[in-house]
Amino acid sequence: MVKLKKNELDRLICRLAGSYDVYAPVDIDGNVEFARVSSAEDMDQSRTVTNLSPKEIFFPKDEVLFEYDADGIRPADSMDRPIAVWGIRSCDTKSLMLLDKVFGSAIQMPKEERFQDPYWKKRYDGALLFGAACAEPLSTCFCNWFGGGPFATEGMDVHVTDIGDAFLLNPVTPRGEDYLESLDFTAEVSESDRKAAAEIAGSAEAVMSPPVPIDGLDQLLPGLFLQEEVWGEVSAACINCGACTFVCPTCHCFDMQDEGRNEKGRRLRVWDSCMFPIFTSEASGHNPRSLSRHRVRQRVMHKYSYYPVNYGEYLCTGCGRCITVCPVNVDIRRTLLKLMTHDGEDG
Amino acid sequence: MSVEKELRRTVKDLLEEGGIDLFIGWERGSLPTVASPLFITDPVDAERLIFDITCGSNPAVYFTKDRRQFDGRRVGVVLKGCDSRSMVLYIKEKQADRENVVMVGAQCNGVLDRGKVASAAGGREILELEDDGEKTVTLKGRDYEIAVERDSILSSSCLSCIHPDALECDHFIGEPRQSVTREQRLREVREFEALSSTERWERTRHEYEKCIRCYACRNVCPSCYCAVCFVDQNDPPWIGGTCEFTDSMIFHLVRNLHVAGRCVECGACARACPMDIDLLLLNRKVAMEVLERFNDEAGMDITAKPAMADFKEDEKQDFIMG
Repeated sequence: MVKLKKNELDRLICRLAGSYDVYAPVDIDGNVEFARVSSAEDMDQSRTVTNLSPKEIFFPKDEVLFEYDADGIRPADSMDRPIAVWGIRSCDTKSLMLLDKVFGSAIQMPKEERFQDPYWKKRYDGALLFGAACAEPLSTCFCNWFGGGPFATEGMDVHVTDIGDAFLLNPVTPRGEDYLESLDFTAEVSESDRKAAAEIAGSAEAVMSPPVPIDGLDQLLPGLFLQEEVWGEVSAACINCGACTFVCPTCHCFDMQDEGRNEKGRRLRVWDSCMFPIFTSEASGHNPRSLSRHRVRQRVMHKYSYYPVNYGEYLCTGCGRCITVCPVNVDIRRTLLKLMTHDGEDG
Repeated sequence: MSVEKELRRTVKDLLEEGGIDLFIGWERGSLPTVASPLFITDPVDAERLIFDITCGSNPAVYFTKDRRQFDGRRVGVVLKGCDSRSMVLYIKEKQADRENVVMVGAQCNGVLDRGKVASAAGGREILELEDDGEKTVTLKGRDYEIAVERDSILSSSCLSCIHPDALECDHFIGEPRQSVTREQRLREVREFEALSSTERWERTRHEYEKCIRCYACRNVCPSCYCAVCFVDQNDPPWIGGTCEFTDSMIFHLVRNLHVAGRCVECGACARACPMDIDLLLLNRKVAMEVLERFNDEAGMDITAKPAMADFKEDEKQDFIMG
C-alpha cells in the first residue's frame, strides 16, 4: 500500500493520461457520470453513486461495429489506447465482472463454440481500475445483499481510500501492483494512516442496513413464473419506462441496427430494454411479453434467476440506481421481498 | 380538516358505499422525495393515502394501454389540476368513460422537481423532507438540515400552472388555489422566442444532446398512448436508435408534435427524465401555438372538440398558404 497526497492526484491523472484514456466521475449539467478527464480538476468525486453507471465506458449506449461502402467493409475506428478509470465504486467494478462473464467468456456455450465479444474485450481486458472506497453509503445502497460492501475490492486493480489529506492506494491485482510500483511520487503509509482508513471503513459499514438474505431466490422464481397475480401486484405501479434499465450497471441487452442507403452504411449496436414492447415483438406480430407485468417479470427473472443459473451469481450489485431514478418509486428491494415471501399460491 | 384526512375519509366512503371498486392514489414511498402509486380496493387501506409535494407523476397514465387493469370496474382517482386535464382529455378521446370514473380533486400546492431538490441539497442524500405547504421545505440528511424556498424546488410546470384545481371533479378536497397569470405562464416561452434562431438551435441542441433514449418521458406522459409508438416500429424503422443528436432530436420533435393540442403541461416528462432535460420548453411553445391559432387548451373544456380533431373556417391558415 502507498500513500498519495491529494495535491499529487493531478500528477497521477496526468501520468495516467499519458498512456491511457482516463475516465472519472464528472459533473455534466448537474448529473454526475463517467467521462474523459485530463486533469484532476475535471472530476467530481462527491457522489457515492453516480447518476449513470460506468458501464457505458466499456459498453457504449451506441457503438458502430463496422461501416461499409462500395469498396468493402471496414471495422469502425478502434481505440488504440487502454482505458483507466479513477473513482469507480465496488458495486460498479463488480458489475463489470458480471458483464465480462457474458461478453468476455460466454460460459454457457460449449468451449469450442464460445464467442468472445471483441468490442467489449478490447476495452475491458486491458483496463486499469482505481476503485474508490465508499465512506458514506446511501440509504439506497444494498450491495451487502450480494456479498459486497462499502470497502469491497472485487473487480478493482487498485483500491483507493480517501483519508482526508491523502489517498491510500492498495493494490488488488498484479496489474495494479505494477502500476503503483512505477510511481515515484507516492509516500509510505504510516500506522496512523492505516488507523484512519480502518475507522472510515468501520463507520461506513455501520451505516449500511443489515443485508436481507435472498439465498435461493433464483430457485424460487421459476416456480412463480406463471403466477400472473403476483407479477400484476409487483408491476402495478410500473409504467414501463426504461429508466431503470438504462442507469443499471448490469443491464446489457442490446439491439443491432443497420443504417444504410445506396451502397453505404453502418451496423450499430445500441442499448435495448426489456421494458419496451418491441423488445420481444416477433415478425409475425405476436409479442410473448405484450403486457407490462410480463416485461417486469422478465427484468426480475433475468437478474435473479436466468443469469444465476448460467453464471452462478445474481445479475445485480445493489447500487440502488434503479430505486433512485424511478418516477413512481418502484423499489427493487420491496419487489424481491414480496417475491421471497410469496406463498406460492396464485389468487 | 387536513387535505389528507379528508381524502382518506372520502375514499373510505366511496369504497364502502359501493361508489367505486378501486381507487388510485398515493402512499409514502421508500424515498422521501417520491410517493408511490397506491391501488386500493379495501376501505381499510384508505388510511395509507397521502397527497403532497412528492406525488409527482400523473396518475391518469393508469387509464391507458396495458397499464389499465380494471376494465368493467368503476374507478376513483385523486387528481391534481393537470392530472384532471389529462382525464378530461381521455374522456374526450374516448379513453375513459366518464360514468365509470370518480374524479377526486385535491388541493395541489405543486410538486417537487427531483433534479432541483437534489441540487438544493448539494448532491447529498436526502433522508427526510418536511413541507410547510406554503413557503419552506426542510431537507434533512445524515449530517445536515437546510430550509429551502418551496418555489426553488417546485417543478417548473407548477410555477407556470394555469389550473392547479382539478376540473370536472366529483369531489374536491381542500381550498381552491390561485393560478398564475397568463404572462407568468408565457415568460419562459417568450424568452425562448426572443432568442435568435442560432441561439434557439443551440438551446435545443444542448437539451436533447443529453438524451439517453430511455423513453421515460414517453411512458410517464398521459398523452402518449399510441398502441405502437413510432419508435417501436422497425419495419421499416422510422428513427435511428442511437443517442446521436439527430436521432434524439427526431424522437423529441415527433413526440412534441404528437402531443400538440394534447399536452396538459403536467411536467411529468421533465420530472421523470434521468438526464434532467428541459422537456417542457418545446411542449409549452407548441401549446402556445395551439392556443393562439385554435383558441384551445388541452383538457380544459370537456365539451369542446380537441384542437387537432376540429376545423373552424375562421381559424388561421397562414401556415398553409405561406
